[in-house]
Amino acid sequence: MKNGLTIFAGIFAIVAASWAGLLLTAHRQYGGLAQYVDALDGNAYPLPLSGLADQGRLVYEDLGCATCHTQQVRRADFGADLDRKWGERQSYARDYIREKTVHLGDSRLGPDLRNVAARGYVDGTFLYKLLYAPHSVAPGTNMPAYPFLFDVRRVNPGQASPLALPFTGRFAPPAGSEVVPTRRAVALAAYLLSLKDTYDYPVERAKNTPPAPEKKGEH
Amino acid sequence: MNSPAQPNRSEQMEIDASAKWPVLVLFGSAVVWLILGGALQLIAAIQLHTPSFLADCEWFTHGRVAPAAQNALVYGWGFNSALGFGLWLMARLSFASLRHGGWLIVAAKFWNLGVLLGVAGIMTGASTSFELLEMPRFVTLLLLGSYGLMGAWLVTTFTLRNTENTYASQWYLFGAVFSFPWLYTLAQVMLFTAPVRGTLQAVVDAWYVSGLYGLGFVPVALAAAYYFLPKILGRPVANYYLAPTAFWWLFFATAFTGGSRLIGGPVPAWLATTGAVANFFLIVPVVIIALNLFGTLRGAATGSVTVRFIRWSLFAFLAASLLNFALSLRGFAITAQFTLITALRDWLLLYGCFSTAMFGAAYFIVPRLTGHAWRSSALITAHLGATALGLLLITATLGWAGWEQGRMLNHAATSFTDITKALTPWFTAYSVGLMLLTIGHLAFFVNFFWSLGARCPVTGDATPAVFRAPPAMEVPSA
Ligand code: HEC
Repeated sequence: MKNGLTIFAGIFAIVAASWAGLLLTAHRQYGGLAQYVDALDGNAYPLPLSGLADQGRLVYEDLGCATCHTQQVRRADFGADLDRKWGERQSYARDYIREKTVHLGDSRLGPDLRNVAARGYVDGTFLYKLLYAPHSVAPGTNMPAYPFLFDVRRVNPGQASPLALPFTGRFAPPAGSEVVPTRRAVALAAYLLSLKDTYDYPVERAKNTPPAPEKKGEH
Repeated sequence: MNSPAQPNRSEQMEIDASAKWPVLVLFGSAVVWLILGGALQLIAAIQLHTPSFLADCEWFTHGRVAPAAQNALVYGWGFNSALGFGLWLMARLSFASLRHGGWLIVAAKFWNLGVLLGVAGIMTGASTSFELLEMPRFVTLLLLGSYGLMGAWLVTTFTLRNTENTYASQWYLFGAVFSFPWLYTLAQVMLFTAPVRGTLQAVVDAWYVSGLYGLGFVPVALAAAYYFLPKILGRPVANYYLAPTAFWWLFFATAFTGGSRLIGGPVPAWLATTGAVANFFLIVPVVIIALNLFGTLRGAATGSVTVRFIRWSLFAFLAASLLNFALSLRGFAITAQFTLITALRDWLLLYGCFSTAMFGAAYFIVPRLTGHAWRSSALITAHLGATALGLLLITATLGWAGWEQGRMLNHAATSFTDITKALTPWFTAYSVGLMLLTIGHLAFFVNFFWSLGARCPVTGDATPAVFRAPPAMEVPSA
């Protein structure tokens, strides 16, 4: 290889080929994926995110929750995702078109969150408690606390915030004060509560289910 | 030409002199980032077993510190050291001096300003949360512009070379320097300027990350190995005639591995399959490179610090290639995906393979630029020892703990509380490993700046052979 031009052209061709072969082809294949309109209820799925949930998505990004959490349920023969009840079904590419940015994640130091809102015990209060004092709902966990998403403030007599966290005992704030989620915490909770892919697309199910006998969850 | 060509001594000294300040500025910035990034990485690791550590401070919350550390290490330490090494080597191998080096220093300053703003942006809440593209968008143009200037220098030096032939190190350097701006620009455009929708974003990010490691950092490490081994050992590269095949094959196959990172995910299955096939085909160039470089090493006396660091780099290259291949297979990925083993793979690429090669390179290059030896050989020994121990400890820890983690994750009855509890001792061992590496970094840092300031001409045989004073510093070449 005496000629610099060979290397120049070669490397350029390689990067271009991989870009066209992988990204462009994938984009052609499913970049235009659209919502699916259910003939029975007339809704277009996946349902769009509310404005508040969309702000919460930005909080999720800014705090880097994806460092420890994935948002993808793998299919039945790929790990124990379904056995762990992380979803009633595997995640489809179509599920994600409702979010402006998608964070599949690549580390499961914590559980998968793609369907966290579908878990029976998960509601606003659970999430606030988890974020303010993780040990109050998950003793011994290494999920960090996010105290800066909350205001600890004095209760004005007769005007306790309806959002104040119902802590008693070890995690309770000093007497006479209350823990109230900030706007960011409210948005983040709204985002997490939007994470629930319970609608099963007939098109996707047909494509993705192997002919083997279908396994029914107890839901 | 199966070993790097040599200009004559006076030319060589002239070339080194022209490279002196740009390269020292780049190396100096790199070392500072290494300390900063390493400290952030250690904080993030400590938080895994002591989650209350700095948790009240929003800037240092785990989800920000971990990516901030990775970005500081990749764009701060990685790019500065790679460009410093690359410019020096390209000038040497092209028998061309670096002209107008002042511009390079300006470009390096802008680059570092960009990285600083980017890392600060992540820590203050402007992260995009896309792996290795977390830096807020306002630094993109600053980074691309200053990189463009430095990259153009390297390419120009190559183009203006005064040699008949080119050598393997030059191809790898050229390939690495030239692919980065494309990868970066395309990823930025597809994620932020005209964002693609849905899980395609993850595909773009995976493509970028695997390209950055596989087409950027690994080739720079290989350029170092192809240069220093024959040069210091004074023998030709074994089976050198295979090297061009390995080069093209490595670049081509690596460019298609990205999809394997998304195996099992909500993306078209052919992406992961293509990635697995590409990883399989990578066996050929990896074997050739091993034949070339281990063949050169075989039976050689390895008294040189540079050679020892590079040997670690080669081991890590082999281990990372193997792990990459394994992770693209369903049978292995079912357990290992999303565990600490995934993290180990990327760490082996960036730290095990790339960083150790740059340590080795710096130990060779710096004395030739400053005109005097490293100040302390004890600190060098400390760095080498700490690196070796840290590498072994972290590889064993993340590998073992990751596998256990994967098995527990696949056992649906094991709760997360139990998984966290079982992993905690391993997280602690990981922190200890990073502390060892930090000791090495500090030794390197102190020695580097101490040597810059000091005037201590080398005397006789007091220092190891690699550090003889110029022109006697050069080992007579084969
Ligand atoms: C250091 C890693 C880490 C980070 C960072 C992290 N988490 Fe967690 N998270 C965990 C772990 C571990 C658990 C499991 C707790 C348990 O049950 O023991 C968890 C559990 C959860 C759960 C409950 C899930 C369930 O199935 O019960 C939610 C919701 C959650 N995290 C949300 C978040 C959000 C939102 C963020 C970002 C603000 C975040 N996490 C950041 C580690 C982390």
